[in-house]
Amino acid sequence: MRQRVKEEAMSISKGAYAVLETIVGAEYLSDDPVVCEGYRSGPGGYECGLGYERVMTVVPACVIMPRTTEEVQNIVKVCNRYKIPYVPYSTGFYGPRSHPHVDGALLIDLKRMDEIEIDDKHWFAIVGPGAIYSPLQAEAMKRGGYVIIGGGGAQASVIANLIGDGWSPLSHRIGLPHRRILGTELVLPDGELVRMGSLSQQNDPFWGEGPGPDLRGLLRGYTGLRGCLGIVTKMAVKILPFQPEPLEPAGVSPNTALQLPENRVKWINFTVPNKEAQVKAMFEIGKAEIAGAVTKVPLFWRAIAKAECKEEFWDLWGQENADTINKFFIVRVLLIGFTSAEQMEYDERVLMDIMKELGGEARRTRPTDESWIKNADSAGMWVMCGSYVSLDYVIETLSQATVHGELYADLKWKYTPPLMPDYGDPGWFQSFELGHQGYSEFLIYWDQDQDTTGVDHFYVDTSKMNIQNRTYTSLLGPHQPLYLTGPKYGPNYHEWLLKVKDEFDPQWVCHPPVPLAHDVFMERAEWMKPMKDWETPEIMPKR
Amino acid sequence: MAERQTSIDVKKLFAESPKTPIKLDITDLNNFVYDMSRCIKCKGCTWVDHIYMPGAQFRTKCPTATRYLFDSYGANGKMRIGIALVEGKLQWTDKLLEIIYADPLCGACDVGCKRNLDLEIGLTLEALRVKAVQDGVGPLPAHKKIAQNIAKNHNFFGSPHGNRRKWLTKDIKPAQKADLLYFVGCSASYSNPEIAQATAKILKAAGTDFMLMPDERCCGNTVFSVGMINEARALARRNIDEVKKTGTKMVLTSCAEGYRMWKVDYPKLLNISTDDLGFKVVHLVEYVNELIEKGSLKPNKKMDIRIAYHDSCSLSRLSEPWMPWEGERGWMGMVEPRLTRRRGTNGVYFQPRDILKSIPGVELLEMPRTRENSFCCGAGRGTKEAFPDLALWSAQHRLEEVKHVGAEALVSACPWCKNNFVQAVKDDGNALKVFDISEVILASIATEG
Repeated sequence: MRQRVKEEAMSISKGAYAVLETIVGAEYLSDDPVVCEGYRSGPGGYECGLGYERVMTVVPACVIMPRTTEEVQNIVKVCNRYKIPYVPYSTGFYGPRSHPHVDGALLIDLKRMDEIEIDDKHWFAIVGPGAIYSPLQAEAMKRGGYVIIGGGGAQASVIANLIGDGWSPLSHRIGLPHRRILGTELVLPDGELVRMGSLSQQNDPFWGEGPGPDLRGLLRGYTGLRGCLGIVTKMAVKILPFQPEPLEPAGVSPNTALQLPENRVKWINFTVPNKEAQVKAMFEIGKAEIAGAVTKVPLFWRAIAKAECKEEFWDLWGQENADTINKFFIVRVLLIGFTSAEQMEYDERVLMDIMKELGGEARRTRPTDESWIKNADSAGMWVMCGSYVSLDYVIETLSQATVHGELYADLKWKYTPPLMPDYGDPGWFQSFELGHQGYSEFLIYWDQDQDTTGVDHFYVDTSKMNIQNRTYTSLLGPHQPLYLTGPKYGPNYHEWLLKVKDEFDPQWVCHPPVPLAHDVFMERAEWMKPMKDWETPEIMPKR
Repeated sequence: MAERQTSIDVKKLFAESPKTPIKLDITDLNNFVYDMSRCIKCKGCTWVDHIYMPGAQFRTKCPTATRYLFDSYGANGKMRIGIALVEGKLQWTDKLLEIIYADPLCGACDVGCKRNLDLEIGLTLEALRVKAVQDGVGPLPAHKKIAQNIAKNHNFFGSPHGNRRKWLTKDIKPAQKADLLYFVGCSASYSNPEIAQATAKILKAAGTDFMLMPDERCCGNTVFSVGMINEARALARRNIDEVKKTGTKMVLTSCAEGYRMWKVDYPKLLNISTDDLGFKVVHLVEYVNELIEKGSLKPNKKMDIRIAYHDSCSLSRLSEPWMPWEGERGWMGMVEPRLTRRRGTNGVYFQPRDILKSIPGVELLEMPRTRENSFCCGAGRGTKEAFPDLALWSAQHRLEEVKHVGAEALVSACPWCKNNFVQAVKDDGNALKVFDISEVILASIATEG
């Protein structure tokens, strides 16, 4: 039998491997090159096919699958002792940023830690990092409750999503993720265990704020630190009351959906005359404290939903143009009879009054849910072009959030192609927390077989645009060059973040070089040099 | 700055873009480079369709990914390994062979992926095995033994060819010539005569004359599935020619694997469409369901039993007809001419259920993972021969689901499923009964036998 051609130069030492084997057993550890190749980030996937993925990711030298928190602690301690860089990995869906960036790394695959335990009395779920959303939602719904399936998709790890993003259209009612994270268990980068909230006092995670330590702000900040500050091994997630009627699954793949009990759950799509009416409608719906979700989605999502395949999508999308985009003002509302059918009827009457005032017209809407209640079809985002990333998201006021999308759309013209022609669509926009916040998300698509330099440039250019327009962007910390964004958002945000990293991970073994990965990318990728007009230290910390 | 694309001409953009010629041809892995390179690790290949996700229990539908856990064993890992093979970053090793062969090719990944995307995962996995054989490293020794049996004795087991019709009893008298030809298959001929006998008796009860192939030989499922494409093609040609010589109009199988071979993989091997075979291919359940709907067959004998029906993969999500396709890929990955993807939507799902529901006293229980989301028994397509532990583990895993719904009997429509489940039940030591659907149908219509 011929042997594999060696690609990665570094592997972990035999001594370290033997110790790791004593922790999990031989069955759950492998440094076989073929096994490791299966963990490569690309070439396809979220943010894949771009310079960052090509330049910054490598195949792990070794993969390990712990079952318990204690095993995770022991693995991390071995990594510190032998100076082995490691990366926590729950599902691998989050693209290059959840994969090793340096040679000789240990990938800690957490899929065996997939517990979902429901506390029926206090209505929370205890989940492990390998647990994904849809089974959790299924269990919650069996009890008349619900959680959010984050925009990352029903296949996303609950914990990874909640410490990174964790929102969806349902955030209109259910609120932002940090309000639903209760007691949490975190293995710090050096292996020390921190139990947060009530877990620190007793084996009951019912409360997140205390009386023990609460590092949730550090853990997730705005949109998380992408695994560079330890490994969450357990989290209690609040379940909120939904309604009691079953939502029956129907159809055969690919056309599957939940059938909605129309007296208790109903989507209604409205067209409104203009942008102002769209924002006002969301505002008024929030003020009236009705509805379970209020959202405006990009027009091309409708074409995705209608199309059976990629070619059919382009048939449909080719019929649209900048004019139809400019005239597309939709408000999609989910009504839920949380307490009774009568409550939903009341909500519907209030909704119709609001829409009547604003000139909104209800369109025929199917009595089904394909996405958001139990499923979130993020995987469908790849059908048009083959490559995709949600480039940025902001949480602002409702009126300000829409401006964000328009700024993006305007800058995007410059980079189209290689970006997908979307005729200036300003992206996804919705209400959070009954209109107290507005949310804007901008998604981009391209074909990774084309020259993607423009996409890489757009990424950094949007950061500069956000700085110029003082937008409260998610593209901070590890998401963009830290030495570009830190001084502008701080003025010493970057210094603080690096000090936190140094304090918790003095050897920088936990997912290096995050949070400086994008800075390193800018250094390594020659084609990014024309974009660089900010100062960085001559020698990056901990390189 | 380039001119703003305020509108586009899709046809023009496609016409002016660079093109890559491709075919749905599994003899060249390069045909599937796009599919492998666009896997997004959503693991739709592994998870049950999220709309149908039952809860904390029974979350996955891929036996291999569930058993071995490393991503590399799931289709998402294999797509990356396949790309590395094409690019020369990996060469064949024992581990690589294990990863591509420890897999029943049950189609769960293909259907799961195609719920959202247009990627040909199932064909890619077949092409990986063909490449292993082309490169002289595949198949595995256990598979080669089967291939030798087929070459020597024309059957999977290596039993004497002359014993092929030993399942026939005195009261079963096939016609010399008929519009319907019953292709019995190796399993029902040699190891599961009860299925062949039940099938024949059902046809007799319905008043349907049937014939057998004058000299029936193996359908070639295993050699095809492990990548021995030349051997499989020779069997396909031979069997099709023999059927055509008989002038029959319809080939009926009682084996799901055989059904898939005749309906999908023979046309695939010969680069023709299923419609061009020159005869119709049906499984017993399709035929019987139609008879019941017409009133020609009446299952009126009461059977007080709670049954869980297991969708055999080759009858369900893998059974959509084949249509050859070749063309080119261009702008944004679009293909021309248009391609109708096989997404498992039109598998044989409702017919066996309708049959079972029509039997008085039968309570049909749906398991949490059902139809296109079913969890494969793990026996098929060369798995049980080379990886008996995986096959048995998969069946035992499925039995947990049978227990979960409280069924007394497990029914499938394939002898390979039945045999694997029978072994798992025996090892498990529980009282569950395992039947092929032909046996249940016969019991519901027969007054004797």
